[in-house]
Amino acid sequence: MIRLQLSAFLLFLCATGTQAANAQQKAEATPPDFNREVQPILSKHCYACHGMDDKTREADLRLDTLDGSRQAIEPGDPEASEVWLRVISDDEDLRMPPAEAHPALDQKSLDTLKRWIESGAEYDLHWALRPTREVRVPSVKNTTWPRGPIDCFVLQRMESAGLSPAAAASPTALIRRVYMDLIGVPPTPEQADRFAADPSDAHYQQIVDQLLASPQYGERFARPWLDLARYSDTNGYEKDRPRTIWPYRDWVIQAINHDMPFDQFSIEQLAGDMLPNATQQQRIATGFHRNTMLNEEGGIDPLEYRFYAMVDRVATTGTVWMGLTTGCAQCHTHKFDPITHHDYYALMALMDSADEPEMNADSPQVVSQRKQIENQIANLEERTIERLALLSGDEQKPTAAAYTKWKEQQLEQTVNWGTVPPQSMKSTMPRLETLDDGSVLASGDATKRDVYTLTMPPLTDDEPITAIRIEALAHPSLPANGPGLAFYEGRRGDFFLSEVRITTEQGPVELGIGSTSVPNAKKGNGKTFPGNVLDGDGSTGWSIPGGSGQSHRLVLPLKQARALNQPWTIELLFERHYVAGLGHFRIDVTEDENATASALPSDLQFELASSEQPPPADLDHRLATQYLRLSPTMAEQRKPIDQLRRRLPGETRTLVMKQRPADFHRETMLRHRGEYLQAGEVVPPGIPTVFQQPESKQPGDRLELANWLVSDGNPLVGRVTANRAWRLFFGSGIVQTAGDFGTQSLPPTHPDLIDYLDARLRDGSPNGDQWSLKRLHREIVLSATYRQQVGSPPAADPDNHLLSVFPYHRYDAERIRDSMLRSAGLLCQHVGGPSVYPPQPKAVVALAWGNTPWPVANGANRYRRSLYTYSKRTAPFAAAVTFDAPSGEQCLARRDSSTTPLQALTLLNDAMFVEIAGKLAEDTLRECRKLTPEPTHEQIARTMFRRVLIRQPSEDELSALVDFYQEQSQHSNPWMLVARVLLNTDEAITTP
Amino acid sequence: MTSHHTNLQEITRRQLFQTCGVGLGKISLASLLASQLPGAVQADNQPTDAGLHHPARAKRVIYLFMAGAPSQLDMFDYKPKLKELEGKPIPPSVIDGQRYAFIQPDAAVLAPRFEFAKHGESGVELANTLPHLATVVDDLAFIRSVHTDQFNHSPAQLFVNTGSGIPGRPAMGSWLSYGIGSVASDLPGFVVMMSGGNVSGGAAMWSNGFLPGQHQGVPFRSSGDPILHVANPKGIDRDTQQATVELLGKLNRKRASALGLDDVSARIESYEMAFRMQSRAPELMDLSQESEETLKLYGTSAKDPGSFAKNCLLARRMAQRGVRFIQLYHSGWDHHSNVEGGVRGQCKKTDQACAALIKDLKQQGMLEDTLVVWGGEFGRTPMVEASAALGRSLGRDHHPQAFTMWMAGGGIKNGQTIGKTDELGFHPVERPVHVHDIQATILHQLGINHERLTFSHAGRDYRLTDVHGHVVKELVA
Repeated sequence: MIRLQLSAFLLFLCATGTQAANAQQKAEATPPDFNREVQPILSKHCYACHGMDDKTREADLRLDTLDGSRQAIEPGDPEASEVWLRVISDDEDLRMPPAEAHPALDQKSLDTLKRWIESGAEYDLHWALRPTREVRVPSVKNTTWPRGPIDCFVLQRMESAGLSPAAAASPTALIRRVYMDLIGVPPTPEQADRFAADPSDAHYQQIVDQLLASPQYGERFARPWLDLARYSDTNGYEKDRPRTIWPYRDWVIQAINHDMPFDQFSIEQLAGDMLPNATQQQRIATGFHRNTMLNEEGGIDPLEYRFYAMVDRVATTGTVWMGLTTGCAQCHTHKFDPITHHDYYALMALMDSADEPEMNADSPQVVSQRKQIENQIANLEERTIERLALLSGDEQKPTAAAYTKWKEQQLEQTVNWGTVPPQSMKSTMPRLETLDDGSVLASGDATKRDVYTLTMPPLTDDEPITAIRIEALAHPSLPANGPGLAFYEGRRGDFFLSEVRITTEQGPVELGIGSTSVPNAKKGNGKTFPGNVLDGDGSTGWSIPGGSGQSHRLVLPLKQARALNQPWTIELLFERHYVAGLGHFRIDVTEDENATASALPSDLQFELASSEQPPPADLDHRLATQYLRLSPTMAEQRKPIDQLRRRLPGETRTLVMKQRPADFHRETMLRHRGEYLQAGEVVPPGIPTVFQQPESKQPGDRLELANWLVSDGNPLVGRVTANRAWRLFFGSGIVQTAGDFGTQSLPPTHPDLIDYLDARLRDGSPNGDQWSLKRLHREIVLSATYRQQVGSPPAADPDNHLLSVFPYHRYDAERIRDSMLRSAGLLCQHVGGPSVYPPQPKAVVALAWGNTPWPVANGANRYRRSLYTYSKRTAPFAAAVTFDAPSGEQCLARRDSSTTPLQALTLLNDAMFVEIAGKLAEDTLRECRKLTPEPTHEQIARTMFRRVLIRQPSEDELSALVDFYQEQSQHSNPWMLVARVLLNTDEAITTP
Repeated sequence: MTSHHTNLQEITRRQLFQTCGVGLGKISLASLLASQLPGAVQADNQPTDAGLHHPARAKRVIYLFMAGAPSQLDMFDYKPKLKELEGKPIPPSVIDGQRYAFIQPDAAVLAPRFEFAKHGESGVELANTLPHLATVVDDLAFIRSVHTDQFNHSPAQLFVNTGSGIPGRPAMGSWLSYGIGSVASDLPGFVVMMSGGNVSGGAAMWSNGFLPGQHQGVPFRSSGDPILHVANPKGIDRDTQQATVELLGKLNRKRASALGLDDVSARIESYEMAFRMQSRAPELMDLSQESEETLKLYGTSAKDPGSFAKNCLLARRMAQRGVRFIQLYHSGWDHHSNVEGGVRGQCKKTDQACAALIKDLKQQGMLEDTLVVWGGEFGRTPMVEASAALGRSLGRDHHPQAFTMWMAGGGIKNGQTIGKTDELGFHPVERPVHVHDIQATILHQLGINHERLTFSHAGRDYRLTDVHGHVVKELVA
């Protein structure tokens, strides 16, 4: 509704006239602006005891609402208002706020409060919580400067403060700036020269459009989003082991490159799995909330750390889409912002009912490549069987004879197993369901000690049962394909079956020690010996050592064969210092004598058992294939096949969200004081009360939450998103407290501008941005505000809030390294893929727990964009973290921009940067010598200077560099030293 | 000071962190607060030793962090009752509702592994594995009733260092750097050293969190460059480096004046300070000026790179050179199995050096204004840990309910023991001291009110002690 009304106002309407001057009235005459002036005082000094939180409210007085305040405020009459009398009281015991640990109000705040009460003490909804306003593009005196509405908003503020805009940046500065801002690397000097030769507006727009269409645009803008997503390649906490979630990172890059509208971009990341017919890509997108950390210490309670991950998800969602700090409400009702303790858990409940599996993220190319190799393997197996004449039955051929003997053994051991799907199942934690093939699949949460109780149907056949078989099976929904549920501390996909108990109504069924298909499962081996499951000791059991994704069998004979024609029960205990339940398994029984666990796959065994003897040709062929794969005598023949098998591309599995089915809803409990152990009542899902509207349907699940977050019902999302975009270009936001739009935030420097950008971004009309961030970025870089020259702000505006010059700021860690790689001609343009290891001293990861490798990349991966650098949470890439890059441990809305000696040491001495300097020198010399065989020092220095700083050097600068070169001529590579100087200049790492 | 609090709002980020942020916390909040006008900031940017909120008793901290959690029951908190009960389960009334990392709560009691004896005038009981510490007990204050919220290593170590079990908050050293700055002009204000292996909490334990970047802790490595990249690259000598930094200053000043950019001066200063650090760091690491007597005091491993003893000696040298917060992590205390052998071995590696540090500081006249803190992230159970699958026997599991720390110097009232645990060493029964109380007390000794050292981040004011913590008044001399 707002969208349509606004379109008219968004036309470029910079009217002239004296309106602006008229608007400038004397401040004293006007009542203070509640949001900008009064609320910050109340919020800072009063709300802690007289705010939202009824648990900490003093004297039953609340000052955060008009109704509440009237108890102590007499509108229009400060002297009759208790609030006023208390804040000015001389009596320490009466004066508010209380002296201990609370600062007193200063004179300015007192004046504001007084004027506010005098003017009627009106309240107003906090500006950021108000629906988007209709903002009129303001009129300005200087009508030649503005290029669009943004400039009118900015100029209007400047003019009212008596300031005027700075001159336009030089074409060379502007072109370097816009390249760095839109694609994260500088232009070449030639590109800059071409623009300098024709610095027309049309040419500039053309360049901007090219940059917006470049694949490097997505790489540049993915990075700040990944800061918010707390992306990392490791799990965090003590062990900080690797995880695979780079397919999510690549999804972000691609989505940004395709300019996926921000609403869709948000919905797919929050709830892509819940979209109708969700695609692989939409499910990969849900990795956003799988970037939470995972504690793999053996001693943890896995459910407690799942709770902390949920806390992180609520906080991150609040920061990213609402600009509100929800974190306070984890422990108690927010003291400053209108989010109650209950609201917090209602928000959590919206996201809580999901499981956290892995999924295959192979690209179609990889899938077809794998298929191709698998076919080659099958062909080669086929040819090998033929070549060895295994199926000939020819006793004269040793290979055929050996196979026949093996086959006979197998047939002799073949037992007729029948699968028994459980009648009903319960467990201490995981959800168990029966699949079509009678097997059981576990999902959901698990603990360090889980018991599965399977109630088995009476077997109508009265023949005595001789043995039970438990088969552990792989499944794509399980960690590393299973067969276990282990997802931390132990090997992923591991399980540990500690005890097995079978009972009937008559009592326990006595079991024998039995056999397993797991190799070398000898007595004394606490992890594989079949007898372990019967010894009453939870710390010994049956499991499958080695790689994950395998299937194996455990056969337990009944000491006395008996019919199981009454209901019977199987109890499986899984006990380990980590989650170790079976994720996928099958229960079979047999009536045959001497059943043992066979190495053959179960389906083949089944077919053999039920087929005629000798088996028909196709079964014989499958059996021969197994012989070729398993028999030690075939080791030599297998070699070429194994070689092929090694070429199979490894599977890429990424972390995703998966909504639970309706009958497996996870209930969310309120936690007193935010503590996991202090669970309280069940809280139904819902958005914070302050946003609820009586007529409209409230979001009830994650997808509805995602839809609501990007709807007009959420007044913050457009402002927060526009503000973030603004900050990426100007170094600070219109609201400078990034990530916080609450009552404690600084008021916006340009309140109308942020609302204009908000409305524009959400405007769905053809002229609107329709949630396109590319359009927003385009509008910003085309503005005159953006095209000003960099400089120091005037004394009247020392913090440059009014943007009367372009704000000087340092580039982030990634753009610093990437632009240097580019200047040296080293930058690799490959987009996406697994993370890489640029050079850094071993000492960096040596500080982390365990023996973390840092296999330094050679070749192109050494020079990939910094976005692809392997992110290890407990030992982040040093050169990045020194320049304030995050560790990925928490959602980060704004990076700091520090200046430290460690940064100087890094750029001067880090071998990685010295290498870049060396290559820059080398490549520069090569370039110069292409033009002239004997380039002068000046030519070399100039070329090098321009590669780094793009602009032409002044004569002074040039001679300083050449002098330095000559002074250092004793050095083996003095041009490297010059290159190193250039890369270390302030200008190389800051906005031009 | 009350009015300073409000002034902080008016000192903008730019002034705080760019104009003045020449690095490593040289500029303190205190000096900024002291200068009422933003314009005066540059003229008066000295750090303070005087205290931010009240007079400081200590100028610096040396924190000996025993990572892995030492067994208080086998070193400090003697419980003869455990001998009596050895092999029997702990009464259910004691263990009801407790969570453990590995063991079941009904595990049997394990007796103290060593003999204890009384020492010094204060008569403190110590296990006989601590013969050196026994000689300085009268300089120490023991706290036997420390307890924490966390029972796994990584969160518990983070909790002690940052006040939160989840990574992301500023470390104690960063808070100090932010609050009172550093007096070292050629060394970082917050230094971290390690021995005995790496630590569970990772880099988050010396992270500046949401505080400005110059307050981050700087790890000193025992081999290679002590500070990452502090040595010149191969083939570049000191003269070349100096010429490089000078040329950079020249080029940067040119840009600054051409564009009227004052901010560039912070970069110029950062290069100059980096250059000074390049000579200061090797000087610091060079023990050749230390007397034989001193080296002997710290023990035979005093010269071994990466040893706890060498790190203790380096800590004293850093203290002399103005480093504000010096943190030593010594790992290897996680004795889930064979706690007896484990404690004996770690005491051998650390006991002499701990005592030496106290004696050395005293001799140098620095103990009175250097606060030394010793402790782990939690304690260990009175119950035994044993597991066939994990190959463990005669160990102790994690025990957050009670453990022992000690402090010395820096205005701490020495020769006393605070707090008491029950006869099983399970729960504190007298004067429980929470980790937040320890943090509050450390800040207090440096002249900081822990409730008032706050930083506004993402919508609220954060502090080291969250919303908790009380100064342990009994510890203050």
